[in-house]
Amino acid sequence: MAEVEFRGISRRFGDVQALHSLDLAVADGEFLILVGPSGCGKSTALRLLAGLDKPTSGEILIAGRPVTRSGPGERDIAMVFQNYALYPHMSVFQNLAYGLRQRRTPRAEVNRRVHETAVLLDIDELLDRKPRQLSGGQRQRVAMGRALVRRPQAFLLDEPLSNLDAKLRTQVRGDLKRLHREVPVTSIYVTHDQVEAMTLGDRICVMSNGEVQQIGTTDDIYNRPSNTFVAGFMGSPPMNLVPGEVRGGTVRVAGAALADLPSPDRPVTVGFRPEDLRIGGPWESRSVPARIDFCEPLGSHVLVHALVDADGTGPEGTPSNVIAQAPPGTAYDSGARVGFSVAAGKTYVFDAETGQAAPPPARDRVITA
Amino acid sequence: MTTAELTSSLEPGSTIRRWRLPFSPWHLVLVPLTFVLIVPLLWMVVTSLQTQGEANRFPPVLVPHDPRIANYADAWHTAPFGTFFLNSTVVALVVVVSNLVVCSLAGYAFARVRFLGSKALFLVLMATLMVPFQVTMIPVFLIVKWFGDNVSTYLGIDHLGALMLPNLATAFGIFFLRQFFQTVPVELEEAARVDGTSRLGVLFKIVLPLSMPAMSTLAALTILTSWNDFLWPLIVITNADQMTVPLGLSYFQGAHQTNWPLLMAGNVMSLVPMLVVFVVAQRYFVQSVAGTGLKG
Amino acid sequence: MSVQASGQDAAATQGAARPGWVGRLRRSEGATGWLLVSPGAILIGIFGLLPVLMALKLSFQKSDLLTPDTPWVGTKNYRQLADDPRFAEAIQHTIVYTALFVPGTMLVGLLVAAALNRSVRFISVYRTAAYITMAVSTISEGIIFLWLTDKDYGLVNATLNAVGISSQPFLASTSQALYVIVAMTIWGWTGFAVIVYLAALQGVPSELHEAAAIDGARPFTRFRTITLPLLSPASLFLLVWLTINALQLFDEVYLTTRGGPLHATTVIVYYLWDQAFVQFNAGYAAAMAYVLFLVSVVLTAIQFRLARKYVHYS
Repeated sequence: MAEVEFRGISRRFGDVQALHSLDLAVADGEFLILVGPSGCGKSTALRLLAGLDKPTSGEILIAGRPVTRSGPGERDIAMVFQNYALYPHMSVFQNLAYGLRQRRTPRAEVNRRVHETAVLLDIDELLDRKPRQLSGGQRQRVAMGRALVRRPQAFLLDEPLSNLDAKLRTQVRGDLKRLHREVPVTSIYVTHDQVEAMTLGDRICVMSNGEVQQIGTTDDIYNRPSNTFVAGFMGSPPMNLVPGEVRGGTVRVAGAALADLPSPDRPVTVGFRPEDLRIGGPWESRSVPARIDFCEPLGSHVLVHALVDADGTGPEGTPSNVIAQAPPGTAYDSGARVGFSVAAGKTYVFDAETGQAAPPPARDRVITA
Repeated sequence: MTTAELTSSLEPGSTIRRWRLPFSPWHLVLVPLTFVLIVPLLWMVVTSLQTQGEANRFPPVLVPHDPRIANYADAWHTAPFGTFFLNSTVVALVVVVSNLVVCSLAGYAFARVRFLGSKALFLVLMATLMVPFQVTMIPVFLIVKWFGDNVSTYLGIDHLGALMLPNLATAFGIFFLRQFFQTVPVELEEAARVDGTSRLGVLFKIVLPLSMPAMSTLAALTILTSWNDFLWPLIVITNADQMTVPLGLSYFQGAHQTNWPLLMAGNVMSLVPMLVVFVVAQRYFVQSVAGTGLKG
Repeated sequence: MSVQASGQDAAATQGAARPGWVGRLRRSEGATGWLLVSPGAILIGIFGLLPVLMALKLSFQKSDLLTPDTPWVGTKNYRQLADDPRFAEAIQHTIVYTALFVPGTMLVGLLVAAALNRSVRFISVYRTAAYITMAVSTISEGIIFLWLTDKDYGLVNATLNAVGISSQPFLASTSQALYVIVAMTIWGWTGFAVIVYLAALQGVPSELHEAAAIDGARPFTRFRTITLPLLSPASLFLLVWLTINALQLFDEVYLTTRGGPLHATTVIVYYLWDQAFVQFNAGYAAAMAYVLFLVSVVLTAIQFRLARKYVHYS
């Protein structure tokens, strides 16, 4: 087990800059999630750490030792691949033992560790099988076992749950959490699934366009997004983002004041999460007038889709979509006029140009109504 | 990213090089390797441009002093190469067209039509693939002779028909197209049949247009096999007027054993058509070989 | 009453069935199916199936291919084969040839394919150059190698001299000719073997190499423990296919040595052809062909049996 550090890592593929000077430190035993849309650089970062690819510039350290020039086999890390990459011609036992044998581990030790790991992952019954005789979930566990058995300095996981069906994914997510509690190896986990990101990690690193957007706990990322990208990426459905303005010390959307903000007048992007919205009459004060588009009843709640003429351009403008989470049983006719008000302290303001949260100190961004 | 970085990404310590080749280091392996592979062909071309004096010098003259293109004209006039090419072309065309038609009809029936005895018939036909040509060649010689004596002389010994007849349909072609037809989505055919198309209509309007890659592959393979076949023409053809390119070439070689520039000029000419076909249709050859290799 | 009714029904169905039967057949899938397969089935029947039976019959007869007189001789042809020293010699040459040609072609094909399995610039040019021998006819190949290995003016002897080895007689030597034929046919089959191996190599997922690299395996170990086992289906295909073709070697022998010098390159099929179409012992040749058939079936069966243990299918 060891800490892992990226120092100013850049990677360029021809004209494409996959990573821009990435700085990232992962503490010993920490479970860090790299999350972002496809092409954001998260997999590149993982492959650079594994040694499967070399950075254009920068340095990677594992346990304080620079490994940028070491091959993947010399870094003492283990990786779980998206499609597991189990050696199809070897039994489960041979798959687990392969890495140990490459390191000239004595036979008895190999046997002991493979069996130990197999018991831990509940695959000890499968040791004689070939990968093609295993179910998806079993293959996933073998892939985990192949990584665990080596007792590496760090664990790299590249979307390890994406090939499982939804039900199994939930179960394996729980298994992973339990496993990390029992074997607290430094882990770097790449995913594009925000539920995995929020539930699994000690910290989350949100990436986009080869750059880190925000690093923090689930609470930080969800409640204090540092820019519109993070706000719009995390949450299901994500935060509503509509054009607005700060005028006379209040945040306004479509002319309606939503919250106070002692700040100079300027155009802004206003954000609010679906669950923080309350639907009332269009006449109510501190509410944004909107037209109902349609409702999606989901059992536990109803998602109300509405259109807000946020930029104030009238019928010829493009209205912004707003989604509100309403209690079950809520129903509106399409076209009905309503007003959205935002729960106290739940209005987010971002710079209209840069998308950065404003004003900078995170706590102050939450505004009292 | 340069290709050098890509290919060497697994080797430790390869990123930070003191110096860098302007190209992938693999070219240093690939250039000599492919050179060795095509040296026989290059040497054939070089010799075809030498004078007989240059060819009979040792150590050999690597670059002809004054390339003698006239060797080609000499070769062309010394043996009836025009006739050989024409014969090979006619035989190959007839065999290819026949194979495409006959094998696609049968291949489709075996792939999609349910009829009594289809499995048994298919197995029997496929069993013939196991039999070496040497087993059947003597009886086929007798059968072709019978066709020549009883049906038409043009089908008999010493006629082009003898080269075509045994190759008009192949079990391999039927197998190959059947395998491909089975991958055509059956829903497409069902949709057409619901729209009132007949079985044959479905084959010609839906399945065959979708099977052009497989048909091209079979055509390419059949052309190559037919053109380069030697043993069968050797057995049934003795008349120079009816010889195909390889057979004619072997007689040409026998007649001009020591005139290497002339021989090589003839050899180059004989190779050009198939080299062109191969380069143009390379994709199909690769697919056919790779496909049968991994599935079969 | 009910009995009568059912009898009437039966009669009615029978009556109705008669005109309908033809129509049903015409419309039925069965007729369509047979119609579609008949051209192919008839052609293959005449030129693929019938000859197998005729050859079997012929192998128990004496025939000179020309006269219709073909007396039965029982198993004489087969017994004669067992005592024919030239046939034994031909078998021996065929075995030596096959034992060298098959592994040789596979090894060359594998090495070239491994070198070509990367994405560098001009790779398609390199690949075409490696495949191209597939398009070269056996006769052209024979003529080229006759010249290359010419004992007086050949390029090979020139190269040998350049590195201090004296000129060799090659095809003119009883002890070397067969090996020259091995070399030229390996060259001729390289394109084919490369295509097969390259396709198989491209089918090995790169993640497996990466996983093995992370597991600490060096490049050569990765090739040996991951790539080679995963290529086994391609290797089996080549083994079977090249063996069948090796047993049928003829064209190059005919062109370069005519089985000589002193029968040193007389392989089974050359001897068979010589017996059938030069000596006109067609019955004897047919028996020889059947022995060849049997040998190739047995060899193929053995290869597939061995494959069960070593070949991995994903």
